Amino acid sequence: MNCPRLKDWLDERYDWGGIKSLVKGKLVPQHRYDLWYYTGGITLFLFILQILTGMLMALYYIPHVNFAYESIIEIVTKLNMGWFFRSLHHWGSQLAIVFLFIHLFGTLLLKSYRKPREFLWVTGFILLGLSIFFGLSGYLLLWDERAFAAVRVATGGAGAFPVIGGFIKAFLRGGVDVTGDTLLRFYAFHVAILPILVLALIGLHLLLVQYHGMSVPLSLEKENRREEPFFPNVFYKDLMIWLVVLGVLVTLAVLLPPEIGVKADPLAPPPENIKPEWYFLFLLETLKLFPGSILGLNGETIAIVVVSCGILFFFLIPFLDRRSARGERSPLFTWISVIYLVYFLVMTAVGFFS
Amino acid sequence: MRRVGIFGKKLNRFRLVRFGRWILATALVWLNAAVSLAAEPVAVFPEVPYDAFIVYESLAVFWIFIIGLIVIIRMKLREIERTQRLGADEEDPNAPLLQ
Repeated sequence: MNCPRLKDWLDERYDWGGIKSLVKGKLVPQHRYDLWYYTGGITLFLFILQILTGMLMALYYIPHVNFAYESIIEIVTKLNMGWFFRSLHHWGSQLAIVFLFIHLFGTLLLKSYRKPREFLWVTGFILLGLSIFFGLSGYLLLWDERAFAAVRVATGGAGAFPVIGGFIKAFLRGGVDVTGDTLLRFYAFHVAILPILVLALIGLHLLLVQYHGMSVPLSLEKENRREEPFFPNVFYKDLMIWLVVLGVLVTLAVLLPPEIGVKADPLAPPPENIKPEWYFLFLLETLKLFPGSILGLNGETIAIVVVSCGILFFFLIPFLDRRSARGERSPLFTWISVIYLVYFLVMTAVGFFS
Repeated sequence: MRRVGIFGKKLNRFRLVRFGRWILATALVWLNAAVSLAAEPVAVFPEVPYDAFIVYESLAVFWIFIIGLIVIIRMKLREIERTQRLGADEEDPNAPLLQ
């Protein structure tokens, strides 16, 4: 496509040539682990899809305790393709979190967090936390008995945190228990507060990627490696992968549309064998390992503190791994990363099949 | 009818049959209650077979479309890589400026 008049129009107002040379000048290293570079792009693509499908659902969803469940049933049963867009939104969130974890563990194992990219890790880690909260807040909007019980357990677990636990629980619930206020609050988180925070952080994350360039694994840093331009080479490869991901997503949405349970009743007992979303299972299974009381102290509080320390250590890995920062190999942190990965996979599997 | 009545009276002699009749009656009452109380699941997918067929057909067409697009992008990428190998994509600084 050649539009000289448009080019001239843009050139008169903006440094079009400068932007063009900047885009063409961006190079991406080619090596045997370069497939990991695409996981970030896939996550970004899924986020964009989530925003689009979420916008469509927000046109019809009613965030009120008496109408939330009914409005979702109306979206699914009465609106043209409503079931499809809800299913797409559901599976989009699941895949986005899967690829976020793959991106996170890929970054961890390839030591892409090392100096000078510590803040890239920090922004990515906060994005993961926000995405998980995105999932939890969206889960409650369905207002069925499973969502209700899962959010009650999750917010109750946050309440076991020492000193500030009570405040966090009350802040999340908007009161003592999960009620219509919680629904409204989670709706505000899901459609206004979290999207703004996530978009700002994604912008910062991408800006840092542009600033630092793509990371190369330590083992390949001294090798003579090839580079290819981001535009158009890597961009076209990204497009092909996004198309495959879109195909998988649409297939999942069609073949496995998410079920809708019975409407939530705050006075009814919770349903049997209640399980949170899969990305909370490793936390739940870890909490189950602790007894109710340890040396006279509340076992749940100790469990929450231990888990929080584990997550804090994980978050601080770029600042603790001094050898990687100096450009040396650090097998200790490779093993720590492998232990974290295996623990996450095993505990998630145990929680899923139990 | 009289024959059936005689048959029933003969069967009544067996304790298992008398007991089984009560169990069957109770089970039917429970079954009836269970069926009437169970909430009907919400249809999260088109229930009419024709609509379901249209959805599956569209999914197949969608995959064909994706594969076609990937083939086109792949061809385009190969051509770009070929011109890059030849160095034909770089601008010649000595090229005469056409007005």
